[in-house]
Amino acid sequence: MIPIEYWLMFSSLLLAIGAYGVLTRKNAIVVLMCIEIMLNAANINLVAFSSYYSTLHPAFGTDASGQVFALFSIAIAAAEVAVGLAILLSVYRRYQTIDVDKINILRW
Amino acid sequence: MRHTAARILAVLALALLFIGAIMSVDWPDGEMDQTTSEDVGQTLFGDSNATGYGLVMFLIGLLLLVAMLGGVFLAKEEKE
Repeated sequence: MIPIEYWLMFSSLLLAIGAYGVLTRKNAIVVLMCIEIMLNAANINLVAFSSYYSTLHPAFGTDASGQVFALFSIAIAAAEVAVGLAILLSVYRRYQTIDVDKINILRW
Repeated sequence: MRHTAARILAVLALALLFIGAIMSVDWPDGEMDQTTSEDVGQTLFGDSNATGYGLVMFLIGLLLLVAMLGGVFLAKEEKE
């Protein structure tokens, strides 16, 4: 089996890739996708630590709390993306662009 | 161009910081267990009515419904 360090390094790299995308990209859809990558890094951490905890404390039985919280996190991310894409659609209709450098006012 | 290089360096430094922190911890020996879908289902819905995360599931379903309605409201065509 893969040790926990590798999972944590993988999720750190995913977080860094997502942060790089959020910091450098100008297309708002790509920024949204990079935010999702960062959320997935957090989900991997949840699942990895839950599995690791179950192995360290076998007396408590199999604990799948991390997996369940990851499911909740995925559902909330879906809600966030639905609203985010709708806002982007609305912004595009108004300004004909989704460049995050050009959308610099927060009023309609 | 200079800004992009600075951003790449900042993100690389962040990743190296994370990896260094992970490697510096002396993790107790323990392999990852084999959690099955049945375990996830039992944790999610519990063995009896009082345990599990059924209420949270219901609230998340409600949140998704509200998000869908909000998305439809925001994305609908405005009448001129």
